[in-house]
Amino acid sequence: MDLRQQPSRLAAAWPWISTLARLGLAAVFLIAGGLKVTDLAASARAVNAYDLMSYDTAKVIGAVQPFLEIALGLLLLIGIATRLSAAIAAVLLVIFIAGIVSAWARGLQIDCGCFSKGGELTGGRTAQYGLDILRDVGFLALAGILVWKPRSKFSVDGLLMGDR
Amino acid sequence: MSKGNRGRDRAAAKRIVEQQKAAERRRRVTIWTSVGVVAVLLIAGLIGWGVLANQEKSTDASKVNTPSVAVDDGTAFAVGTGPVTVDIYEDFMCPICHSFEDQTGPTITQMVADKKITVRYHPVSILDRASNGTQYSTRSAGAAAAAAVDGKFLEYHKVLFDNQPEENSDGLSNEKLIELGQSVGLGDTFATAVNDKTYDSWATKVTETFASRGYNGTPTIVVNGKQVEGPNNTLPTTEVFTQAVTAAAG
Repeated sequence: MDLRQQPSRLAAAWPWISTLARLGLAAVFLIAGGLKVTDLAASARAVNAYDLMSYDTAKVIGAVQPFLEIALGLLLLIGIATRLSAAIAAVLLVIFIAGIVSAWARGLQIDCGCFSKGGELTGGRTAQYGLDILRDVGFLALAGILVWKPRSKFSVDGLLMGDR
Repeated sequence: MSKGNRGRDRAAAKRIVEQQKAAERRRRVTIWTSVGVVAVLLIAGLIGWGVLANQEKSTDASKVNTPSVAVDDGTAFAVGTGPVTVDIYEDFMCPICHSFEDQTGPTITQMVADKKITVRYHPVSILDRASNGTQYSTRSAGAAAAAAVDGKFLEYHKVLFDNQPEENSDGLSNEKLIELGQSVGLGDTFATAVNDKTYDSWATKVTETFASRGYNGTPTIVVNGKQVEGPNNTLPTTEVFTQAVTAAAG
């Protein structure tokens, strides 16, 4: 009897786990975007610090990215097209991780600018790329849960599909 | 076939149709919500682009008051007449810039006096976030430009570092900036420029130029076009700096 009950209990728990993942990921993107959106010039400098593109390109990315993060955070918050939203979040996180890895590999000393306007890091302070990557991988895991099990409680998806 | 059997078949068929309808509904919802998500993200991106374009307008050449005495595309103030060019990008809120000034400032003064170097000071504003929204980096850089116009850049530069506020404080008020100006002999035109933020958009422009040259941190010290750093991107010691100048002088 126990054997049969375990899987069904887990099945019942998934929507709740997914709900936590969804709200957590929404908070991550809303905070990350919100911190950057108030100073787009600084955001551009943070992107430019990665030294992966021209300053003019970095300016556009630096301006577009915070708005994209906030929009994605809101979409995840209300839970609409959750699987697609989570997949886009995952793609963004993979790009961020790749950027940090590349900065690390090239021996750059920069602030990743993940939750700040980043960029400038001089004398004394050292970059903590390992921790930054670990954190982003954690967020990537949240996105992974949602891509795998997109059904969650209190979501627009659930409302429209008539789940509850 | 019995009656009971037929009833059961009908119920089964009905269930299948309902399942198909539900599946159809899920598919429709998935498609339309996906379209909605993509549309929202595109619009968000366009908003970012639009905001950027709008901000670019404020740093248009026509709207920026470039100080008449500024050199290097109007982004710096030159001190000295020596053959080696030393570019120093500094933010008046940055404690390490202050350390560099304390550490290497006297050597630089001596090199200028010996006509070895020309120093070009670029006041940038990358630490505006560290003054509780009062934008001290921009205000102090703008004030330094006003001081330069009145021929007192170096004097004002020194009092700004001597009175450097803590990071993440409100920074110095405009009144205090003007008071410091008076202490080095700056008068009413300086006070007006500080209060009117005459050179604040210029400070933003200098910071743009700084970033477009690929520099990220302050202080950035460049000797004859080559950035000078200590090991692991640290602040160069006076010795390292002196060696760079000697090498550049050939």
